[in-house]
Amino acid sequence: MQKSALVTLLILLAHAGFSQPASPPTPDSATGKITAAAKGFLATLDDAQRQKVLFEFNNENQRKKWSNLPSGAFQRAGLRMGDLTKPQRDAVWGVLAVALSKSGNEKVRQIVEADEVLKNSGGGGRPTFGQDEFFISILGQPSPADPWMLQFGGHHLALNITIVGEHGTLTPSHTAAQPAIYQLEGKTVRPLGRETDKAFALLSSLDEAQRKQAILGFEMRDLVLGPGRDGQTIEPEGVKGSALNEKQREMLLDLASEWTGIMYEAAAKAKMDELKQNIANTWFAWSGPTEKGKAAYFRIQGPTVVIEYAPQRLGGDPTKHLHTIYRDPTNEYGAKWWKK
Amino acid sequence: MRTDLPGNLMRLTPYLLLLLAFPSQGFAHRLDEYLQATLVAIEPEAIRLQINLTPGVEVVEKVLALIDPNKDGVISTKEGAAYAELLKRDLAAKLDGRKLEIQVISWSFPSLAELGAGTGVIEIEFLAKTAPLATGSHKFTMENRHLPKLSVFLFNAARPTTDSIAITQQKRNKTQSKGEINFTIHGS
Repeated sequence: MQKSALVTLLILLAHAGFSQPASPPTPDSATGKITAAAKGFLATLDDAQRQKVLFEFNNENQRKKWSNLPSGAFQRAGLRMGDLTKPQRDAVWGVLAVALSKSGNEKVRQIVEADEVLKNSGGGGRPTFGQDEFFISILGQPSPADPWMLQFGGHHLALNITIVGEHGTLTPSHTAAQPAIYQLEGKTVRPLGRETDKAFALLSSLDEAQRKQAILGFEMRDLVLGPGRDGQTIEPEGVKGSALNEKQREMLLDLASEWTGIMYEAAAKAKMDELKQNIANTWFAWSGPTEKGKAAYFRIQGPTVVIEYAPQRLGGDPTKHLHTIYRDPTNEYGAKWWKK
Repeated sequence: MRTDLPGNLMRLTPYLLLLLAFPSQGFAHRLDEYLQATLVAIEPEAIRLQINLTPGVEVVEKVLALIDPNKDGVISTKEGAAYAELLKRDLAAKLDGRKLEIQVISWSFPSLAELGAGTGVIEIEFLAKTAPLATGSHKFTMENRHLPKLSVFLFNAARPTTDSIAITQQKRNKTQSKGEINFTIHGS
């Protein structure tokens, strides 16, 4: 009897990941592979580069040093992609390939490509744009046991990936795109296209009463909790998950997966499981036109998630310039796993 | 609290120079609007307003004319305080229909270069002390009349940090220059 109680307790603790100390990953686990890839990247660097890319894990200034803005308008630290050799750049992409899901990695590549398109379409000068202007930095040492953090960002991208043992989180992170639609090798690319389409699909699934709750009667011209707003929280608004039917809840989760699913599979699943548990207390709000293809703002907010999507009026057509933010007010930078 | 830019650059109308240094299209930085984002924190004995202000590159000269009236390229402590007070005078805050006396608590200004580039954020915090709020329903209203023709507004209630306060409803006008927060104080 005592033994079964102990087993039950261990199972409960295993599911309550946040309340237990992080257990070290095995080399075959996702975080084990990410750690190995990050060490492999560091091994490609010389001493001066390693000194530039590595920061103390407790360096709060560096942890929060991310932005939507391009180089020239915002000074990032770490190593600039344009200053790396091709094998070193490949190693950076190798780390991201294991830290992110296939679709997440593709999204990130497309955001970077979009900035290259922007550069080639007249965005030269200062601030500077393009794939060379993305930076990588690492806080702490890639480790199977100790917390460490990988930052990769530039104009319209800020990935803040914190790894603590077997746990991993992407919050807070910023994805965006300008142009949000472009042609590459004969194909039309929309880095944030699925987010846009799924949001309009969810909105169109709402009945009149639900729409009345979801649609805010005022303009939302920007993100409320964008870069620089760490630690702030806002009161949720819109239609609550408890007022949605099962299909709509699935659509809401599927929309949220465009952010939670950027991370490697195990972390994405853990986050999605959390969102499913909280779906009744998760809100969906909309501001702006409701016709598909128009520029509109939306927000998903639950106990452990805030996602905002805000078209920008800067640079012409707002449907071609999108900003988003992804936060977890209870676990920014994975703090619940490492903060004493 | 001082923000400096080389004097000779300042004398050459630096804001225009900075504008010219950027591409003509609106890449990344705010352009023709002044974003004023207000976060309202309801506390047991106070209302706190955190206002972040971001002038776009095409309106920054008008904003800087108020912040740096002597155009010496330096936002002195006195000028920073004066601008915070100017903004305060343009705010009308009420609790349960009664005018609130708000005080400037802190302010910070980015560099003039950042402001000129449309990327700088001015942060000003205000506090209105109240008597301990009675159990029951309350209504906070605020109107921001600061540079309305240039501005776009965000108005949001912060999540209360105590369970004794519950936000029950938020209302805004279309532009969010006016906002209303209904909340309830629960008894202990």
